[in-house]
Amino acid sequence: MKTKRIFLIGILMLASLAIAFVNADKRNIQPIAYNHNKHVEENDMECLDCHVYAEENAQASIPNIEDCIVCHEEAVTESESESTLLSYIQENKVIPWRQVYVVPDYAYFSHRRHVKLGELDCTICHGDVGRFAEPISEPFVEPVMDWCMDCHEEKNVSNDCYACHR
Amino acid sequence: MPRWGMVIDLNKCTGCGECVAACKVENNVAIVGPEESANERTMLWMNILTTYEGEYPDVKVRHMPMLCMHCENPPCTKVCPVRATYLNEDGIVAQVFPQCIGCRYCQAACPYTVKSFNWYKPEWPEEMKKAVNPDVSVRPDGVVEKCTFCIHRLQKAKEQAAAEKRELQPGDYIPACVECCPTKAIYFGDFDDPKSEVNKLKRNPRAFQVLEDLGTEPKVYYLSEVE
Repeated sequence: MKTKRIFLIGILMLASLAIAFVNADKRNIQPIAYNHNKHVEENDMECLDCHVYAEENAQASIPNIEDCIVCHEEAVTESESESTLLSYIQENKVIPWRQVYVVPDYAYFSHRRHVKLGELDCTICHGDVGRFAEPISEPFVEPVMDWCMDCHEEKNVSNDCYACHR
Repeated sequence: MPRWGMVIDLNKCTGCGECVAACKVENNVAIVGPEESANERTMLWMNILTTYEGEYPDVKVRHMPMLCMHCENPPCTKVCPVRATYLNEDGIVAQVFPQCIGCRYCQAACPYTVKSFNWYKPEWPEEMKKAVNPDVSVRPDGVVEKCTFCIHRLQKAKEQAAAEKRELQPGDYIPACVECCPTKAIYFGDFDDPKSEVNKLKRNPRAFQVLEDLGTEPKVYYLSEVE
């Protein structure tokens, strides 16, 4: 009986360790621990300052060293993440950001259509990302079809399959 | 709402196959090998139907580009059990690939035999992998596909027009085959627009539809060859 209990406790501990490990791994998917809060809330930057194509193109674009260098030519703070960024800049290496929001290739999603033409706020899909201090590791909402269609119905825009699928 | 349609002038068509190639490249249509092709599994959204008349040396060759006719009364949509194919608000017979379960009823129902079935997962030679058009999905195996009148171009054209705060103009949206035809034999436009060129051409005495007695009311018209 006792051995059984110890065995069970052991399994539980192992499982919790595994979960913690997976979660920690999930949080560290980005190459740099980017802090949205520091940029948006504390330094009054706009989403469009870095995601420059959000109003013009289908893809909003994820900034890379050529955009970061505008402010970070030299160290602005003493943070560890900034020094990682500076090393990327000095070595002229592309930051391998992990894309978190992935739309399948059979769906046509355009940022211009939603941000510029539909005048939607970024927070609807991306949450209050400006206040996130942790790097983005998972999407705020899972971009699933039901969710898209509910909003399309609410805003009275086409829900024809070909409005999005291709 | 517009009703997009096409008129193909067979007098101008030389059967060069440029439209076939343009369609294949634009829409990421899978390449099958010669063996599969011999088994009637060739993947083509647009094909040139070639007929030979007469005996050598007096042979007359006729070419006829065949594609989805985008019928007003489509037989294929009626048999689809999952509404993966339907007539959409722009008059285009839609084929929604992620919805398709691959039963091939629509393929059997199409009197024009213009639908293809993906028997295998499409694969491209290494050199061509990066040449896949990002505007069009790569279909998985087990789904039926066909001409969509390059719907991705309409999606983009509508967005561009909305961004410029104007209506969609003639010429904003044309499929790849129309754009590439070297003899300008293919006309494309809105049949609901009384001023459109296609509307005038379809009233031409030379105009006909393929198998028009079936009552499918195709939106692809042909202008017959004049001897």
